[in-house]
Amino acid sequence: MAAILHVDIDAFFATIEQLRDPRLKGKPVIVGAGCIASCSYEARGFGLHAGMALSEARRLCPEAVILEGHAQVYRCFAEVIYERCRAIAPAVETYLDEAYCDLTGTERLHGDLLAAAARLKRHILERTGLTVTCGLGPNRMLAKLVGKTSKPDGLAAIAAADADAFLRDRPIEQLAGVGHTHARTLRSMNIRTIGALRPLSVEALAALFGAPGRMLYERCRGRDTAVVHAREIPLSISRETSFHRDTADRLEIEGMLEYLVGRACRTARELDIQPRTVAVRLRYADGESAAQERSLVAPSDADPVVLELALPLARRLFTRRVALHNVGVTLSNFVAGAAEQVTLFDAASAGRRHALLRALDGVRDAYGHGALVSGRALHLKGRLEEDRHGFVLRTPSLTR
Amino acid sequence: MPDLHIERIDEAVAVRADFQGGVVSPVAFRRGRREHRVARVNARWLDRAARHPILYFSITDERGDVYQLQLQTADMIWRLDSVALEG
Repeated sequence: MAAILHVDIDAFFATIEQLRDPRLKGKPVIVGAGCIASCSYEARGFGLHAGMALSEARRLCPEAVILEGHAQVYRCFAEVIYERCRAIAPAVETYLDEAYCDLTGTERLHGDLLAAAARLKRHILERTGLTVTCGLGPNRMLAKLVGKTSKPDGLAAIAAADADAFLRDRPIEQLAGVGHTHARTLRSMNIRTIGALRPLSVEALAALFGAPGRMLYERCRGRDTAVVHAREIPLSISRETSFHRDTADRLEIEGMLEYLVGRACRTARELDIQPRTVAVRLRYADGESAAQERSLVAPSDADPVVLELALPLARRLFTRRVALHNVGVTLSNFVAGAAEQVTLFDAASAGRRHALLRALDGVRDAYGHGALVSGRALHLKGRLEEDRHGFVLRTPSLTR
Repeated sequence: MPDLHIERIDEAVAVRADFQGGVVSPVAFRRGRREHRVARVNARWLDRAARHPILYFSITDERGDVYQLQLQTADMIWRLDSVALEG
């Protein structure tokens, strides 16, 4: 019988800010720029939640302390937590604020798995000062869902035999894979609970939602066959930022884009994955946004190759005489572990490029990403603060 | 509560530290002519992003101000990163 432990860090970013500055303890704290990335439980008492616009948050809770966040600090804390998870589980799949640990077959090592989860929670609290909520279940979906019932600082477990009763009366929105759009569709059909979804045939759900419909058919019955991958291959790698001041300066915009492409490509190289698709997003100061994506001729994690596609995309998108507030690049549709594919006549230059990028990565590994600044990104020098991680961005996004 | 803002300082400072039990804890640091005694270490974390890890400390001094210190483990140099100011 499979045993999956879901570990969710409670109000992650906001709690770290409260740890770092005790004056914030007990106060409503928001981390985010533009919208809420994370908020403390005190802020949640005012109806605030992740994804809410900051303007709305300010209206609901004028006394909230709003911080832009420190992504690198959060990563450091998360790594301590995930190191501990790796010590107890043979396979751990990590995200920024949650992890899935596959404890299948470790009963003889740990004894009672719920007690092992309790020990993990205690250890994490001692090492980091952070609380986590753990859910133990026979698959990923149930583990996560049962954990949600005991947040914050909770510990809950569910057996496969109890899955049916556990799921039946839960709101349909709680089923993994049902987002706002699907929930609206289902509610319009008077399907309000997970149990109410079961009478629909797999064909009907596939007709409604396509391939995800087949997955929902299984999940509403408590079945989830997704395995825990020890090495996360993200669906996408996004790097985006708001400008410190809205700008229409092409040198600054293209410099930022080159910098973001460099960051995203370096992450892809670290994970040994190569994107096929590159997307560029712009948001204007008046709230309008524009986005477009294109496929590379062949998958590549090389900055110049990706930039060659991203720059014309950005130029094509930036058509209005309005300053930009935000720019972002997303790599997706990854191929794992492949060497850069090139046409026959490009092989020599691709080899040299690969060697150069590896050398640059080596320097940055040793001295930080900020040790080297490339091409157009030099235009950001003097305009943005720098630390050894590179330019200090306003709202650095994190790999999804 | 008034807004908080972080003022970057980024300067090398002299720090008295306790290394007892293999755990480093700042006890006081000197900035200019003034010595700030560390009343409390609020949080500590290790950044392994580069070859030589950096230890970070969020501390509250005896006046109640919150500072961020870093210890560069390669050369054991302390730097004062920033101070979080109210208002």
